[in-house]
Amino acid sequence: MIKGYYFNGETSEKKDVSLYYSDEGHVAFTEASIDYVNFNELKISSRIGNTPRYINFPDGSQFETEDNDAVDKMVAALSNDSFHGLVHKLENAKAFVSFTVVTVVIFGWLFIQYGIPFFSKEIANILPEEASQYMGNGVLEIMDKSWFKKSELSWQRQKELRQLFNRLLNNIEGSDHYKIAFRQGGEIQANALALPNGVVVFTDELVNLAEDDLEIAAIMLHEIGHLKNHHSLRSTIQQFSLAMFVMLITGDVSTSSSVITAIPVMLVESGFSQDMETEADDYSFEYMKNNNINPNNFAIMMEKLEASFLPEYHECLKNKKAPSCIKEAVALNKTKKNHGSVLNYFSTHPGSQARMERFREGQEK
Amino acid sequence: MEDVNTKSALSNKPFEFTGKGGEFFAIWIVNVALTILTLGIYSAWAKVRTHQYFYGNTLLDGVSFRYTANPVQILKGRLIAFTVFIAYYVASTMSPLIAGGALIVLMLLVPAFLVMSMSFRLRNSEYRNVRFNFDKSFKTVYKVFAIPVIVVGAYIFLLGLLENGMAANPEGQAFFPIAILVLVLAMAFMFPWWEYLITHFKVVHAKYGSSDFTFSASTKNYYGLYLKMYGLMILVFGLVGILMALLIPLMSSEDSSGGMSAIMPLLIALLIFPAYLWVFAYLQAKRTNLLYNNLHLGDNKVRSELTTGYMFYLYVTNTLAIMLSLGLLMPWAKVRTARYRASVTSVDVAGDLGQFTAMQAEKQSALGEEMGEMFDMDLGF
Repeated sequence: MIKGYYFNGETSEKKDVSLYYSDEGHVAFTEASIDYVNFNELKISSRIGNTPRYINFPDGSQFETEDNDAVDKMVAALSNDSFHGLVHKLENAKAFVSFTVVTVVIFGWLFIQYGIPFFSKEIANILPEEASQYMGNGVLEIMDKSWFKKSELSWQRQKELRQLFNRLLNNIEGSDHYKIAFRQGGEIQANALALPNGVVVFTDELVNLAEDDLEIAAIMLHEIGHLKNHHSLRSTIQQFSLAMFVMLITGDVSTSSSVITAIPVMLVESGFSQDMETEADDYSFEYMKNNNINPNNFAIMMEKLEASFLPEYHECLKNKKAPSCIKEAVALNKTKKNHGSVLNYFSTHPGSQARMERFREGQEK
Repeated sequence: MEDVNTKSALSNKPFEFTGKGGEFFAIWIVNVALTILTLGIYSAWAKVRTHQYFYGNTLLDGVSFRYTANPVQILKGRLIAFTVFIAYYVASTMSPLIAGGALIVLMLLVPAFLVMSMSFRLRNSEYRNVRFNFDKSFKTVYKVFAIPVIVVGAYIFLLGLLENGMAANPEGQAFFPIAILVLVLAMAFMFPWWEYLITHFKVVHAKYGSSDFTFSASTKNYYGLYLKMYGLMILVFGLVGILMALLIPLMSSEDSSGGMSAIMPLLIALLIFPAYLWVFAYLQAKRTNLLYNNLHLGDNKVRSELTTGYMFYLYVTNTLAIMLSLGLLMPWAKVRTARYRASVTSVDVAGDLGQFTAMQAEKQSALGEEMGEMFDMDLGF
């Protein structure tokens, strides 16, 4: 006997009834006006926590009860469907739930840390070169509109650097379509970018920092490293898969605001991006070692780059030329000495100190 | 058969939520695990189970609500949405033109999706073995959505015309930020009216069985709510601004070597985040109250008494708990939010909740409805 409510399906009227069943599988109510029904004709909702159970009859009426255990007993006695309530059994097994928690946490971490980068890399390598080309088309035009101005470097200087770039490419397979372009950086200051279609952009501000062209070569190699490893394509795939993963796990949860997922996603993405910087560094480092270029050039350039963001450097530029200003700025930056902080986690580039160290010592990590 | 002379007797029946954090945690983690194991396919079943847990634990007059959606249908909808999403993503990386075109088509479909998802949600909700329902009037929804689109579209078109003329002289560029500001203000002014129209649309097309819901709020109520919200926003963010203006010089003078400048962004985030949450909590509490307190079903009336303070407290504690537990406390947060919401919601029942009749012939479903049910987008009610 199971106590519950009976609803006829035509109105919202509620009747208190008791449901009983016989061993032959005949089900009926003590009060409501239906004859007995065969158990096989009933639709019994599966158990979810301790929410009420619903039993639907062929005539559209419904029985609702809070007595989950009694319903389970009836199902066990009359049904031969061993899958009924399987998920609830899993949810109710403490050992299984604890095991799942641990597995999900570990799996989630492994997947984000290694799985997504790995698959993105594989996919990016499989996709034809054209995929990257498509992505890159138009990017430079957009950047020209919003940030860059025409380069003020002399034609002579541009030609020299272009020749240097092409000399570096001689030893690199599949680099025929790589090109170099020069722009005045403006707001983005001293910087170099690798666009997916194989164009490496150097800003005048960056070129002006270098005393020796080998310093520029070191940065060129870093950018070529990005291109060789299809990093733009990879980061697109990574961001996409991460977004999908987060969406799947958090599902329809909208407990308060998207800030909850936005922050971890940001952290993970900057981690991905740090990995790719390291990879580009690796490429540059290997190339320099194999071709007898002193890796220290990279470290020198990094030091200057970092110092070039000091306000003092820009102050100095008003009166003096870049080479002397950057020397002062580098010296000043050294006295300030890096205070590693929590914010490193938000950075897209790995700690610059560690990066420089490696090139300075000229040995593998 | 039944007494009908007790119509005047109003009795207040509270909602009750009986779910428990621990219990839902087990359901949630198993959902997550099975979703991962099946590469996302189980997510449709997970969604149904989650909804069923929350519906089933929501009681009115001792009787539960029931969510009856078929997971297979949700899966179909998700597969379609996923395919469209991938196609859009690929297209957008290849050609901005195709992507723009696809985006416009998708935008044009948003009102239809809204109606379909409302319909899906309500048709799959039951109470006392009587279904809720939603009249799918696409014409009306497109009229409602057309208003802001036409206004904003016309404005942007005008700006575009002006921009071409202005690009030549540098003075014209100063005009541009002002033009944007005007647009933002105009949208802020229009929004309450528009939200009223949408809410009104949703409510009056909803049904319980064969009974229509009615909505007694007016545009005036919505303007009142949003004016207060805008005022609160100016006040709260003004305070944050003043605090920052005081703090920033203080810090930079104390330590110019940059030690403090590293924690500056963190500090700003700590100030802005609560301010943002407070405004968010205010809006959520007040608009939910406004909706429910003007929701009628026959002579029955819903009451909702959410408070900004408690919502804020819930948001802050939920956010912290979820972040610190790496998401593991999400089920707990969901359950306590549902419990609070139920605890301040009730229905003034006129007579008896047993008087509603089910919709006749609701079983026959046309092709259009089948199509509609494939898109389960849950844009929220």
